[in-house]
Amino acid sequence: MDHILKINELSKSFGDKSVLDNLSINIERNKSQVIIGGSGTGKSVLLKCILGLIEPDSGEIFFNQQILNKKNRADIDFHSKIGMLFQGAALFDSLNVQENITFGIKKLDSNHGNLIEIAVDKLKKVGLDSSVLYLYPSELSGGMQKRVALARAIARNPELLFFDEPTTGLDPIMADVINNLINEVIEEVGATAITITHDMESAKKIADKISMLYKGAVIWTGDAMDIKSSNNPYVDQFIKGSSDGPIKINPND
Amino acid sequence: MYRYIYIIPEAIGRSVLKICASIGRIAIFFYDFVVCLFTPPIYIKSLLGQLVRIGYNSLPVIGLTAFFTGGVLALQIYVGGSRFNAENIVASIVALGITRELGPVIAGLMLAGRVSASISAEIATMRVTEQIDALITLSTNPMKYLVVPRVLAAVISLPILVIIADIIGIMGGFVVGTKTLGFIEQSYIKNTLDIIELRDVMSGLIKAAVFGFIVAFMGCYHGYNSTGGAQGVGRSTTLAVVSASILILASNYILTSLVFTN
Repeated sequence: MDHILKINELSKSFGDKSVLDNLSINIERNKSQVIIGGSGTGKSVLLKCILGLIEPDSGEIFFNQQILNKKNRADIDFHSKIGMLFQGAALFDSLNVQENITFGIKKLDSNHGNLIEIAVDKLKKVGLDSSVLYLYPSELSGGMQKRVALARAIARNPELLFFDEPTTGLDPIMADVINNLINEVIEEVGATAITITHDMESAKKIADKISMLYKGAVIWTGDAMDIKSSNNPYVDQFIKGSSDGPIKINPND
Repeated sequence: MYRYIYIIPEAIGRSVLKICASIGRIAIFFYDFVVCLFTPPIYIKSLLGQLVRIGYNSLPVIGLTAFFTGGVLALQIYVGGSRFNAENIVASIVALGITRELGPVIAGLMLAGRVSASISAEIATMRVTEQIDALITLSTNPMKYLVVPRVLAAVISLPILVIIADIIGIMGGFVVGTKTLGFIEQSYIKNTLDIIELRDVMSGLIKAAVFGFIVAFMGCYHGYNSTGGAQGVGRSTTLAVVSASILILASNYILTSLVFTN
């Protein structure tokens, strides 16, 4: 099986609190992998470890069979091969929409053609037109900010796309629009996608495969269509959204 | 009972460790800054933008402050000097006081309030809204993109602002001296020009470059390391202004000792 990303026994603690506990997961190329789990189970920390925003205490991450660590992340040009949609969009306040979308392209290649044309093309892919090209993030609604951030994420035609809680803070209709857009852009760009979310509607809609995290480790992985018949009490409780079950909410966690 | 004996030494120990950790973090941040300063790329567009923001936009506040400081200085020296019949030293003391001390210090402190706070708030907001993480995922080193242009712009801008502050400050003294205290214009200008040496002006400009570095570096450091959401942004802004102001006054003493001793 062709894996674009392999994570072996990753651990990370903050003080006495262990957030990732020997976590291992393999991500298949050209599949949409969704990682679900409650708050504080280590989803965001896992994503930040892959992106190099946090250094893990131990464990290994392989991208295209090459090890990813602090030293060689720049050597293999990892960040130019990925796109990331942040939970709050994370658009640069001081730049307009066109500058935001083409920010990474300018760094990637100086012979990049017309940046405006690229920005318009990417905007079209996320259902926006050129009328927003020179607006600033503060002039856009939350849903539009997410779309522009999605356009920025796909601007460099990445091999690997990361989505951090893509539907958080959006109304159900806008959330569905974003889910559809994610499916469309994944197909169009031909990228592998890794999404972390606790929104089961979103997970069902965009996932080929789903993994569930609990206490910093993967406790179930399977095809999206099999999740209802997982026979895993943790997964069953999570997808039902029930407070009864093996997952106990500890206020000290 | 014994527990209470340890409370004070423990508190002192914790504070000392905290201070040592802060100094260590600042040293690492400074090392990263120096490495980024001497390695490409340099973001020229960003540098020019910061020169306008830090330098040009600070002109009104620094000009006004310098004018009134020069005027007050002239009044105070006149009143003080008249106690031993030395009113004529007003022009000389205003010129030396402004060029050597008040020009750079007042400009530095005003910039600490205006620029350090704004740099810190901006970078801290970028930190809590994940914009700094976004920069990294877009193959951009935040230290090169955010910190280097701001610190360079402040180091270049402040000496220029201080030259302007020196001129306006001396002019403030001149206006008060000639219009209120009755000095003759020609003799006031002559006394001013006779007393000022290149060394006086240069020492002020060296101080200004150091103060510019402190103002921007402290703003960047506290903003970059901000944690804790909106409250953290406020805290980092306060810390930036307070630490920059204290460091300006402390380094002013050290620089004055170095330049004017002997």
